[in-house]
Amino acid sequence: MSYRVEGFDGASSFDDGVSLLMTGGSNATTERLFDVVTPNDDERAVVITTNTGAKTVVRELERRGTDRDQLGIIDCTNADSDIDGVSVRQLSSPGDLTGISLEFAKLFNDAGDDGVRARVGFASVSTALMYTELRTMFRFLHVFTARIRSGDMFGVFSLDPTMHEDKAHNTIRAVFDCEAELTGDGNSVTGTGFE
Amino acid sequence: MVDEDDQPTVLVVEDERALIELYVRWLENDYTVLTATGGEEALEQFDERVDVVLLDRLMPGMSGDEALEEIRGRSSDCKVAMVTAVEPDFDVISMGFDDYLTKPVEREEMVETIQRLLSRSEFDGIEQELYALSSKQAALRASKPKEELDDNEEFQRLQERIQQLRDELDATLPGMEDDEFVAMVRDIEGDADDTDFDMPGGST
Repeated sequence: MSYRVEGFDGASSFDDGVSLLMTGGSNATTERLFDVVTPNDDERAVVITTNTGAKTVVRELERRGTDRDQLGIIDCTNADSDIDGVSVRQLSSPGDLTGISLEFAKLFNDAGDDGVRARVGFASVSTALMYTELRTMFRFLHVFTARIRSGDMFGVFSLDPTMHEDKAHNTIRAVFDCEAELTGDGNSVTGTGFE
Repeated sequence: MVDEDDQPTVLVVEDERALIELYVRWLENDYTVLTATGGEEALEQFDERVDVVLLDRLMPGMSGDEALEEIRGRSSDCKVAMVTAVEPDFDVISMGFDDYLTKPVEREEMVETIQRLLSRSEFDGIEQELYALSSKQAALRASKPKEELDDNEEFQRLQERIQQLRDELDATLPGMEDDEFVAMVRDIEGDADDTDFDMPGGST
């Protein structure tokens, strides 16, 4: 099985368990992340957001055809996030990594279905990096992508390279199976785990 | 028979002697087993050789929770499975132990838990090397033109080693479940609070 995605050059589906890093300007990557995590009928989507309030996330995903019961959100933005029919978990800081993992586990636990196919979006690694050390973030992303792999999910993580030193970007990218650079004139994907 | 020095070391802490004997019989062929009948004795036995601690939560004298706190203060590398009477929920897992076993513990379950915890230690080790090499790779990428790196034999070897470590890491925890995920992230944050891991090059 795989996850179908439109709009990338040379990649129309991603293998189960793969995690994709999407790099580019913050607005462009966030928009694109919503496209990529929009679930098919038999899938769910979980969005961990540090840069966009849950209300906007719901609106954007509904606009792309998502039903509210397909959606789970972990909102670290401190925005008002009481939304009818959507599981929204609130955290007070993007740096609360244990909280993120705990709420992530609970979202799936509450859904009561282990074998569920899910797209996981993380917007954005850049914002989270303002609250944690690079070393800590690197470890967290490794463990998180390992969980995505073991659960046969599909992970999409956004990063704005202009917000970091080259070294941080180059280190973080080592965690991921593949990377999509949104350059404006093309969205090519490099790495492994897609067709 | 495997040389004893190569075997992982498990410290069993349990106040019922009959249970200790049972656990030792299950484990002694595959592990070097140390035993303690209470929290204080556990701390006397504990040192850097211990890879996994099986810690009974309810014991007379020093409780499992207190012993755990002390152990965590001394070492972040060793993995601790709490042996409890009731199944804890996710929130309790975020309190400080790596896994739990619910009494009565069965042999297969105990061995699986120990194996899983050892795999997790292995994951930590690989990840640490991967970070060091990824930092090195990142620094090279930032300082040298791509063409030069593509021709550089040492850089190619570095990339191959990184790929190899990535594959190993992917293979280490194929069956990771949610509770394991939460416990591992908790450990990462615990380490981040304790020490400055963000060393240039990641080497110590």
